[in-house]
Amino acid sequence: MALESNNQAALSGQTAAVAGAETLPAFGNPAGRNLMGRILPPFLALASVIGLWWLLYLIYPRLLPSPMNTVNEAIRLITDGSFFFHMYQSLRRVFVGAAVAMIFSVAVGIYMGTVRMGEQFFQPLVVLGLTIPGLMWALIAVMLFGINEFASYFAVAVTTFPMLVINIWAGVKSLDKELMDMSHVFHFTKSMKITQVILPQLVSNIFAATRYGLGLAWKVVVVVEMFGTSNGVGYQVMKSYQVFNMEGVIAWTLTFVVAMIVIEYGIINLVERRLTAWRPKIDVWRR
Amino acid sequence: MAELVVENIEKWFHREDGQPFKVIDRLSFKAKAGSVTVLIGPSGCGKSTLLNSIVGLERLDRGELKFVDNSRSQDRPLIGYVFQSPRLLPWKTIGDNLRLALKGAAVAESERENRVRHYLELVELDEYINQFPLYLSGGQRQRVGLARALAIESDLVLMDEPFASVDELTARQLRQTTRRLCEQLHRTVLFVTHNLAEAAYMSDYVVTLTRRPATLDAFVPNPLPTPRQWGPEIYRFAAELETKVTLKEEGES
Repeated sequence: MALESNNQAALSGQTAAVAGAETLPAFGNPAGRNLMGRILPPFLALASVIGLWWLLYLIYPRLLPSPMNTVNEAIRLITDGSFFFHMYQSLRRVFVGAAVAMIFSVAVGIYMGTVRMGEQFFQPLVVLGLTIPGLMWALIAVMLFGINEFASYFAVAVTTFPMLVINIWAGVKSLDKELMDMSHVFHFTKSMKITQVILPQLVSNIFAATRYGLGLAWKVVVVVEMFGTSNGVGYQVMKSYQVFNMEGVIAWTLTFVVAMIVIEYGIINLVERRLTAWRPKIDVWRR
Repeated sequence: MAELVVENIEKWFHREDGQPFKVIDRLSFKAKAGSVTVLIGPSGCGKSTLLNSIVGLERLDRGELKFVDNSRSQDRPLIGYVFQSPRLLPWKTIGDNLRLALKGAAVAESERENRVRHYLELVELDEYINQFPLYLSGGQRQRVGLARALAIESDLVLMDEPFASVDELTARQLRQTTRRLCEQLHRTVLFVTHNLAEAAYMSDYVVTLTRRPATLDAFVPNPLPTPRQWGPEIYRFAAELETKVTLKEEGES
């Protein structure tokens, strides 16, 4: 009987009732659900950190500054312009150092992944570089080059370089051999092979390396600025620390975090999404 | 038009323990100009190795591959290749995949756009020119691979079991498209398969190979008329081919 009525519905162009359909969840407005799904989890994560901070402040009011006072301090830094000046100094050091490291690491990573001798030559150097902490490089750079911009660029570049190379090298080693063969068969030139076949396959590795590299570069820049420069976020944090201005230390740290979030979501994510637009969005396995 | 002459070639590989083994043994045959020569033989007998040697992905240990072309003289001849899987660059659109192959083939920039559109029309995919490959079905991607191999307008086109990875209905459509284009464009095609009906339908000549090490077993002209139709006579010729070839793998009795 049910089959008959379904057939009739199909013949008349109506949607047939499906057994158990009433148990399926309602779909609602997908755009609204997506927006909530994207905004709610990070909002809850931030709210839980602030809630914990507030709770600790209520328990230890002498040890921790209140979240409100810290936010006021951050607003003051932004409104009097000092935030923009010092953040610009730090950002410049991070980006110049990381960009230099990225250029060299892409070249060396591709060389290591494609030429056996290159791998044998650079592998021990890269492993050695990974074991040296950023603080050491910061000290060495200031001792070698003095208190100037070059020292901070050098420290950032040298600290991030081995980790970037490792990522690019791993990416090159897992390049799709079939696509490389195809490019050979169809007479691709060397530059076509690099720009159209190799680099696009390394996009994920390059972005992973960029995220990790920028995080590392920030840490090194702060250390260098603490004792090697007279401006920048690190210098301001050190200055606040010396007068035991806890609000200042946390406010600078917070502005720092906000800058990182803006870079991650405002620049890196956008560029990555644009460069990987060719991938179909298959999220069925994610909950 | 060009002719491919395979002359007395030998190819060795090495096992993991270092022991050498012969894959191709003194193999000689001709892929005649403007016709489809189908290479059949048991799996693992070295058919793909031969195609890879022709395009320079493998090096032969002995013998010669001669590309006899009256119209051109090139150190490394331009050869179209339809792989088992389409091997398209997934981050490039269908149009860009063809444009890159044309750029590699040193086709003038002014001519590329016309060629891209023309060959995508031939495989009935011109409306997908700005689509990325991963949004197409397996059969459509294989047709793009076919369009790319033909678009460079090389005189020799190699096809390595190009329909092995698609379902039978799609494979049948692709065979018809490919055969139609071969008849229409008069390219010299060397087509590898181990599907006898496919060999009977696609071929003008069939080269059968022995088990590994592969050597020439028989050279059979296809008696069926062109334009080729899929019908009972295809299966009759396939049955005839079956008497000439052993498609068992190495080691099987």
